[in-house]
Amino acid sequence: MDKNMNQASRATSTGTTRALRLAGPALWILGLLIPQLLSPAWITIGGIFAIYAIVALSQDIVLGRAGMYDMGHAVFFGIGAYTCAILSLSFNWPVLWTIPVAIVLAAALGAILSAPIVKLRGDYLLVVTIGFNAIFVLAMQNNLFGLTGGADGLFGVGGPTLFGQMFGTQSDLFYLNWVVLAVVLWLMGNLDRSSLGRTFRYIKHDELAATTLGVNARNYKVAAFALAAGIAGLAGTLFAMQLSAVSPGSFRFTDSVVLFAIVLVGGQASVPGVLLGTAMMFVVPQIFTEFAQYRYLAFGVAMILVMILRPQGIWPARKGII
Amino acid sequence: MDFILQQFINGVTVGGIYALIALGYTMVYGVLKLINFAHGDLCILGAFIGLTTLTSGVFGGLSTPVLLILAFLIAMIVVAVAGTLLDQFAYKPLRKAPRLSAVVSALGASMLIQNGIMLIWGPNVQVFPDNLLPNINWEIGGAHISFVQLLIIVGAFVLMAALYFFVHHTRVGTAIRATAIDQDAARLMGVNVNRVIAMVFIIGPVLGAVGGLFIGLYYRQTYFTMGWSYGLSAFIAAIIGGIGNIPGAMLGGLLLGLFNAFAAGYVSSSWQDAITFALLIAILLVRPTGLLGERVAEKV
Amino acid sequence: MNTAVSSPPSADAGSDILLELDGIGISFGGLRAVDNLSFKVRRGEIVGLIGPNGAGKTTVFNMITGVYRPTDGHIRWHGREITGLAPHRIAEAGIRRTFQTIRLFQDMTVLENVIAGQHLRMRQSWWQGLLNTPAQRREERELVERAMTVLGQLDLTDVAHEIATSLPYGAQRRVEMARTLVADPELIILDEPAAGLNEQESAGLNETIRAIRDAGVTVILVEHDMSVVMNVTDNIVVINFGKKIAEGKPAEIRSNPLVIEAYLGQDDDEDDPLMNAAQDQVNA
Repeated sequence: MDKNMNQASRATSTGTTRALRLAGPALWILGLLIPQLLSPAWITIGGIFAIYAIVALSQDIVLGRAGMYDMGHAVFFGIGAYTCAILSLSFNWPVLWTIPVAIVLAAALGAILSAPIVKLRGDYLLVVTIGFNAIFVLAMQNNLFGLTGGADGLFGVGGPTLFGQMFGTQSDLFYLNWVVLAVVLWLMGNLDRSSLGRTFRYIKHDELAATTLGVNARNYKVAAFALAAGIAGLAGTLFAMQLSAVSPGSFRFTDSVVLFAIVLVGGQASVPGVLLGTAMMFVVPQIFTEFAQYRYLAFGVAMILVMILRPQGIWPARKGII
Repeated sequence: MDFILQQFINGVTVGGIYALIALGYTMVYGVLKLINFAHGDLCILGAFIGLTTLTSGVFGGLSTPVLLILAFLIAMIVVAVAGTLLDQFAYKPLRKAPRLSAVVSALGASMLIQNGIMLIWGPNVQVFPDNLLPNINWEIGGAHISFVQLLIIVGAFVLMAALYFFVHHTRVGTAIRATAIDQDAARLMGVNVNRVIAMVFIIGPVLGAVGGLFIGLYYRQTYFTMGWSYGLSAFIAAIIGGIGNIPGAMLGGLLLGLFNAFAAGYVSSSWQDAITFALLIAILLVRPTGLLGERVAEKV
Repeated sequence: MNTAVSSPPSADAGSDILLELDGIGISFGGLRAVDNLSFKVRRGEIVGLIGPNGAGKTTVFNMITGVYRPTDGHIRWHGREITGLAPHRIAEAGIRRTFQTIRLFQDMTVLENVIAGQHLRMRQSWWQGLLNTPAQRREERELVERAMTVLGQLDLTDVAHEIATSLPYGAQRRVEMARTLVADPELIILDEPAAGLNEQESAGLNETIRAIRDAGVTVILVEHDMSVVMNVTDNIVVINFGKKIAEGKPAEIRSNPLVIEAYLGQDDDEDDPLMNAAQDQVNA
């Protein structure tokens, strides 16, 4: 047996992995300093990055880990955002209380919508998710039940209030988003090391073989959707607070496509890959604002080039965890 | 009765356009098992090219009918070239890659083309001149059909018939069908699969360019995101008919056009697209591979 | 002699039967792939299912394991109907299988692949996994331990952390087998386990199969390699064109004229011991 080949295919390396494992938390801690060190524009960018990173990680659960072509994921993001906005504006709920409701509602919707469609073959599932996304946007635009505010959406969502104090500044929201991001990253790490995460991967790589091992593939696929939807819903509430507003225009097909692309371009089932992809899509354009109108052109070219030149993604997942 | 007939006419008109665009999706999918997300944008490119030809003044001396024919021809040629380039640069390098890679590349190509159109022609609605087609309306049984509607219906049906004949009664057409059924077997039978794929990326875009220019002439305007919305509708039509299935795309297009026309009569237009999607989802749940859909067997 | 308490002989024999195929059949479009096939598998037996290429053997396996639903007939497990149940239910019932083409999970290690076989043993719920609770971590350790034990039995300990699909063919087959064994199944179905193995590896395979049976697991196998089938099975079922043409002990099958004819009708295969036996008979 060729020893060198052994080394190459060995799942766990030592030095580099350990270094990378420390780099993550180190970067996060550094990130906490952003409000102290950088300009207000960058605080907002940082906050937005954290929110979209959370949504992208949730997209990765369905697409990168469970292997389902979900191109309508913005729906769940939007459900969370609208739930937060509607409950706090129309029903005067304190914003923090809307968060658990948004998560549960989004997760429930994820389960309900996915249950009938997870049996569909890849491309067809993709189309149906596009359909759900489109129906959602239209429903929001048409001021459903008079609550969703039409094409302009809803305004005036405040920040979280604790002990009577409103924490609505960009810095406050940044810290909130950054902490929630840490929580989500922790969850993703646990997912990877747990049977649930492994089962998702079994289904992604070979659903048939998985079923002959006793895996109820359908239930797990719905579970993947529900989990991902819940996390996206959570991000939605943060989004509503960050922008103080929600509108249908933030949750459209194009937004779902961007999430989809982040996972594939960054690296499926790869947390660093997804974070990198999110940074590319949302942070880099902020640096080159004078080229804003070329943004989608650049994305398009980048997507094509990455798929041709580096199909496994820019930062592919580590193969084999244990 | 008049209402039904009118909606029928409207429906067949739009349905013909959907069918022309849907054929491009279905042919590419049949041969490559790839959803060409950039197809809708190619089609609307046809509208923009046609518009530029018609309004550029370069061809000022020509009579309107000749100018129109020229606009169609130039649109068809440019879009055919664009389609070929699209395949060469975005899809061909990924022939052996996993399906998802090609999907992302297609999405990227769509963004590229759409943004490119916006950069060249600007982000505003582009209006078509209103003296291009005779403003004649004919009365049929209480409903009326306009010249442009007749033009579209006749044009679409002629092209569809031509395609059907081509695919079923010529060598090249049979080669295309064979490649769609089983690429490897076709190759073993001597079919030049690369040439077939190249053909498909010409025929599909050509038909789509005509559809796109029809859109421009019918609504007298075009807009850089229309490729996405019409493309999606046509794509839904292709799925409804069974993606990969050529008669299916024609049927799906017409059905969708009729469905939209009748739904518009009863449902407010802002909910129309939602109904279309609901229809699609309902059909897929009952018949997961579309109405005339493909049968895919998996060897275990 | 007190006959009142003893059970009738047929019931005794009946309780011994693990799996019963009763007149099963399936059509694909116009093709009748399997027709009116019946046989029984008793606890502790090693049953071989043989037949020329295309006879329908894998189709039979697919019907037993729930991948296909038979159009006719019944499949019974411990006397219970399992016809047409979904594959995960069949696995729950205690039946495991390997695949002709080896279906290991790509981009996952040998250990992760084998742990997959213990899926039904898991007690942890989804949220325990997400929150990394101590109970969950404990269970993970147990799963790893059990998997490593089975890997040890199949001489795979060294490669436990290698990517499964990077191993040589013979090793991959052993990994797939480990994945089925780790679940403590009652019945294992092996689909061409000797395909791609050399003589030495085939002999090793025979050892493994006997060891599996000695550990209390019943085995059905499809195989073309007669050095495996003839030496290791207790009972052989021969099918051709989806129908059973013979059933019996290896010695009987070897000299059965119908079987010989079925194989002789195929293309020449000098290395096939059964063919050689057939040729000898004809030439004698």
